[in-house]
Amino acid sequence: MISPTAILIGTIVVSIILLGLLVSRPSITNTRAGKVLAFVSILLFPVLATSMGVDEHMERSKTTAFCTSCHVMEKYGQSLHVDDASYIPAAHFQNNRVPRDKTCYTCHTDYTLYGGFRSKLRGLRHLQVQYFGKIPEKIELYNAYNNRECLHCHAGARSFEEGATHNMEDGRLDAIKLNILSCLSTGCHDTVHNVTALHDVKLWSENNKDKSNGGTNK
Amino acid sequence: MSATKMQRRVRVSSALVLLGMTVELVSLLWSHPTAFVLFVLPGALLMALGILLYLYSLVTVSEPIDNTEAHRSF
Repeated sequence: MISPTAILIGTIVVSIILLGLLVSRPSITNTRAGKVLAFVSILLFPVLATSMGVDEHMERSKTTAFCTSCHVMEKYGQSLHVDDASYIPAAHFQNNRVPRDKTCYTCHTDYTLYGGFRSKLRGLRHLQVQYFGKIPEKIELYNAYNNRECLHCHAGARSFEEGATHNMEDGRLDAIKLNILSCLSTGCHDTVHNVTALHDVKLWSENNKDKSNGGTNK
Repeated sequence: MSATKMQRRVRVSSALVLLGMTVELVSLLWSHPTAFVLFVLPGALLMALGILLYLYSLVTVSEPIDNTEAHRSF
């Protein structure tokens, strides 16, 4: 099966060959067939290839490798391998509660109508800061983390709905669902990336069997 | 004279789009935020310039009708 990336690269290569022909022999556009060729080569193929390329880049930008490829995000990538189940991102990553290849995007997109689009706009802002701005020493979220992102997966799950802590008092579960009581900042699941403490923690490696049981089941 | 002008325009448009497509191709071989910037800024921009020049030429440069071609088509 040919991958979409291979089709895209093939489209671009064909476009380049046709455009090369037009650059070297523009006189072929004197004929009707030449005019059609010019229209296809200059307009149709490039527009098709670029729209496919944008889609490809958008998909790549959702990958964990993409997010952690910037130096400033390296530590956040490392925090996914902390051998401690109290680290929420690590526990999610290591137990496949989120797709490992799209870990960052799964938790940091907004699950709203234009959430994906807003995430991309934030990504462009990050690029602007990376190349033309000043990277802040302490990286913080633009807005407080919304429980909605957690509930996208956890709402309806037995462990969440019937969890003793979530039901320890009347209205607590509703407060969590309405984002009145934060999952992360009310002392319940408050160990997140914690990148400043990474030098003190043991890291889990999938290939290291001795370590693989620690911090994986909660 | 007009035909030559159109040919020149086609050559420049094609060269711009060719350059843009080459940049886009290079950006697709690399998975990094910089690759996306490369794709959009020089890549898509050059391509858009080439296309706009081509479309502008289509509506502004008048060409003599090639009678041989026109007869052949009927």
